[in-house]
Amino acid sequence: MSDGLIASMAQALRDPAQPCPAGLRESCPADPAQRFAIYRNNVQSSLIDALADTFPVCRALVGADFFIGLARAHLQACPPRSPVLMEYGAEFADFIAGYPPAASLPYLADMARLERAYVMSAHAADSVPLTSRQLQDLLSRADLLHDARFQLDPALALVRSDYAVASLWGAHQEDDVTAALAGVRPGQPETALLVRSDLVVAITAVPQSSGELIQHLIDGASLGSAASIFQARHPDFDLASALGLLIAYQSIIHVQLPGAN
Amino acid sequence: MNKSLTTASLALALGTALSLAAVNAHADDMAKSAAKEKCFGISMKAKNDCKAGAGTTCAGTSHADYQGNAWKNVPAGTCEKTASPTSPTGFGQLKEFNAKGA
Repeated sequence: MSDGLIASMAQALRDPAQPCPAGLRESCPADPAQRFAIYRNNVQSSLIDALADTFPVCRALVGADFFIGLARAHLQACPPRSPVLMEYGAEFADFIAGYPPAASLPYLADMARLERAYVMSAHAADSVPLTSRQLQDLLSRADLLHDARFQLDPALALVRSDYAVASLWGAHQEDDVTAALAGVRPGQPETALLVRSDLVVAITAVPQSSGELIQHLIDGASLGSAASIFQARHPDFDLASALGLLIAYQSIIHVQLPGAN
Repeated sequence: MNKSLTTASLALALGTALSLAAVNAHADDMAKSAAKEKCFGISMKAKNDCKAGAGTTCAGTSHADYQGNAWKNVPAGTCEKTASPTSPTGFGQLKEFNAKGA
């Protein structure tokens, strides 16, 4: 096929309003436009199903019909850029944030961010956590702790929201979703922590202060500078409990001490 | 900021975090090994616990109630006592199975 035909096909596959690209031929006597319409329908519905698989809670929040319309609009704006289906939907959260019909559900975009982070966490590389003995050994080198940099499990992720996305997500995992949702206040800001254990991703709400500390460590800040920012911003909160989260979830995989490689 | 004080407080925080984790570790191990088991054939459509996104074998959701290859984490010891209309034994199973009539 010529580059021009490929480009016009790619364009026409995204939008059912576009005509069948010129230059398509059938080996058997059939109408190319009709065949193309069938092919386009299969492409579109498989991509809509893929989004529904990756974003099940978003779909539950808006209902199947709205979700199909949302997914179709998203497909026109953001066609897949990778042949790996699991990666489709990287821009879905940002698309929702700019999609006026979804504005009445203000937490939908953050829920998409959370569900996307879930799938990325499920597929993140394996890692080996430091043992508690290795962590204990750090205490004997306390003078180096200030400039130590922590490397965390690649499956660990944080999603900070002005809404209770972790609790809403949790309620949708229960058998009786309606009953579970009754206990959730959607307007409560939450920081969702994602960790993976035994190939299952768990999502929990953690204090915002702990989330900020962990984010600084992910961004490469030394323990001392992350702790200084933490204590300046959250004098009432406990550094030990924030670090305790990382230890409890076995998320620390390496500690780079100054002067060591 | 006084760096020696910071060093002491960092060591104290890390030490406290480690001792807290040590106290909880035993309970966690117990919780992990004893409290849950994978149970096949008991989850309702789209309620299975294996989820890894589009295009994967877990694909986010099971498509039928009591699907024999979809699992859910349940309290240990309860799986084979949970009714499953698709299971040849009539109950949930610890390994995946071919559902009756499938």
